[in-house]
Amino acid sequence: MDMNGGPKIVGFLCNWCSYAGADMAGTSRMSYPANIRIIRVPCSGRVDPLLVVKSFQQGADGVLVAGCHPGDCHYSEGNYYARRRFGLLRPLLDFVGVEQERLRLEWVSSTEGKKFSQVVSSFQEELERLGPRENRG
Amino acid sequence: MSRFLSREALLAWLDGLREGGTVVVAPTLVEGVSLYRQVPVASEIDLDASVTVVSPKEWLFPASHTIFTVERKDGRVDLRENTFDGRAVLFGLHPCDALGVHLMDVPFLAEPADGSYRERRERTALVGLSCIRCRPECFCTSVDTSPDDPTHLDVMLTLVEGGYVVAAASDKGEALLASAKPEEKALSLPEPPAPEKLPTEDLPRLFRALYDDGYWGRLADRCIHCNICSYVCPTCYCFDMRDYPRGNTAERVQSWESCQAPGFTRLAGGHDTRGSKAAKMRQRFAHKFLYFPETFDSQLSCSGCGRCVRACPVNIDIREIISDLKKIGVSSVGSGEK
Amino acid sequence: MVDEIRSKAKELLTDGTVECVIGYERATDGVTARPLFAYTAEEIDRFIMDNTCVHNLARYLLDRKGKPTAVVVKPCDSRTINLLVQENQIERDKVFAIGVTCPGVVEAHWGEASDEAQPRCVTCSLEVPAVYDYLVTMPGERQTRTGFPDLERMETMSPEERREFWERQFERCIRCHACRQVCPGCYCPICFVDQLDPTWVGIRNAPPENQVWHLIRAFHLAGRCIECGECQRVCPVGIPLMLLNQKLAAEVEGMFDFRPGLDAETLPPFAVFKKEELEAER
Repeated sequence: MDMNGGPKIVGFLCNWCSYAGADMAGTSRMSYPANIRIIRVPCSGRVDPLLVVKSFQQGADGVLVAGCHPGDCHYSEGNYYARRRFGLLRPLLDFVGVEQERLRLEWVSSTEGKKFSQVVSSFQEELERLGPRENRG
Repeated sequence: MSRFLSREALLAWLDGLREGGTVVVAPTLVEGVSLYRQVPVASEIDLDASVTVVSPKEWLFPASHTIFTVERKDGRVDLRENTFDGRAVLFGLHPCDALGVHLMDVPFLAEPADGSYRERRERTALVGLSCIRCRPECFCTSVDTSPDDPTHLDVMLTLVEGGYVVAAASDKGEALLASAKPEEKALSLPEPPAPEKLPTEDLPRLFRALYDDGYWGRLADRCIHCNICSYVCPTCYCFDMRDYPRGNTAERVQSWESCQAPGFTRLAGGHDTRGSKAAKMRQRFAHKFLYFPETFDSQLSCSGCGRCVRACPVNIDIREIISDLKKIGVSSVGSGEK
Repeated sequence: MVDEIRSKAKELLTDGTVECVIGYERATDGVTARPLFAYTAEEIDRFIMDNTCVHNLARYLLDRKGKPTAVVVKPCDSRTINLLVQENQIERDKVFAIGVTCPGVVEAHWGEASDEAQPRCVTCSLEVPAVYDYLVTMPGERQTRTGFPDLERMETMSPEERREFWERQFERCIRCHACRQVCPGCYCPICFVDQLDPTWVGIRNAPPENQVWHLIRAFHLAGRCIECGECQRVCPVGIPLMLLNQKLAAEVEGMFDFRPGLDAETLPPFAVFKKEELEAER
């Protein structure tokens, strides 16, 4: 993709913590890169690896999955499953040539607007360092 | 006297055609796997290829093919057909593959013809290569062709010492050969090999008689219902259509589909009209040996190339099935003489 | 050795323990093997057992749910039984496992059985089936274990080289889905690739779709792949699919100290979690 617009980030944010965290960043007038396309999901545990792989296939330069901190999951344990799943998906992506830094799993609570903005900013910097994926599969 | 092309002259002829804008599709080694591909230069052709893993139908009827693209733009909808308006040479077809193309023509060119197939077919010349040896799974002589049969081809090549004897098999072929510069030589053609001959004479009638035989269930036991046989086959032509939307555009894509695939006959609501393994298994062979000959008043829909025999992971062997049908048929329904 | 299998199989059929014994017979090429479902003593006489018997017959248990069946299993194949029992797909007491110790099988494709060991065998560490009801010993010198040379070679490539490597592999995929059909772990009633609404991948044969298909298929088998190598064996265009599975198996073993199919009790890694783990990997 065109790097002038910055890297394309797809963000899967859990409804209960991270989406509210992104909201908090907004209402607190904190700025974060506009390159992120946010998709609200019920829980980080809902994020099927297929959604991540499909995002990369459709041209994402990076995928952020964000959920409640461990112990705080609205459904008690969804984020623990997500942690195992993405812990394994990252090396698989790396194995087929999608640098594992392009997939991030982060814990962002509903009060952490500042953290959300930092996460997206640092992710964007990382992706700029890695360069574009040119819509590769 | 025969017309003779040395190996170098053959490649030069093909490169000349290619430089004139003709697409050359021929057997090449893709990571060690013998497949038909468009070649950037004639020297990449695997001239010694016997039978490619996937049949040359890949060119005329691609595994996936965009029929058209639609785009919504400035309040209107643009529809663009994906057409092939060049010229192509499909090179290195053995007589079985030429028969395979003919057996594809039967359903696709029957009116109303499949536009995208017809277009490619009319713009493609078939250059064949007669067989100097056959593989154990070959049985072309059982299905109305033979290792040196030029029928359905435009040009036929026969390997001889140092090069090829070349003969036009159609007007299209004669025109194609205009740029070939062959030498005139007195050459004798090698004796063609003789593949196994199977009892195919009475298959449609036998098949009908054994339609409900327990044989199919037993055969299907070990079938894993993958699509390998259908996809490597030169005469299997089932396909599916799907739309792939993206933003303001959408593509209508035709892709190969197989009667062996799990969802092939699944209806809305979940019922599968060919739910049992036996019914699925029987379908593939019923199509080739019964439905196709009856529907199109044609020969069997099998080219005898043996690809499915070689590629099947569990050894479902079409030659064995033909022989078995004959054996069971003779013992249970008589010899067929009225 | 094959006599032991035949007499045990006949005994099981005669005393009514099972209705069918799944074993191997000679294929039509006269050199390789193929599965044989034997329902009678005569059919059992066609059984063979040697290093061309490459198929994972335990996969067929999914087609015979609830029907008492005996099956000949090599060590890798035997893990299928544990996997499928653990995942509530088959009942252990309906299965009689005729285990065969295995020195390794050879590359066998129609018309030729080579002397070369299958890639899955040079990385295999099981000599005796993980589960069996009766054990037979297959003679033969055990193949040398070489570790994971292909995997190690992949690790030395740059991400760019790895991307190009896999693009070359997936480009020639014909999407026959034989890798799925032969796999004992792929038993979803509707596979994600066949799903229509939404169409996640679809049947289009194009490099990006092919890559999503292979990655997600491999991932669905993470912590479940019993390394029988059938996906790679059946691939008509020779895609080294076991590389993906081996990579995931190595990661799963490293992260969770788990290898699937060694017993039928341990829960698979994605059905459980620990509260304190993996913060570095996420």
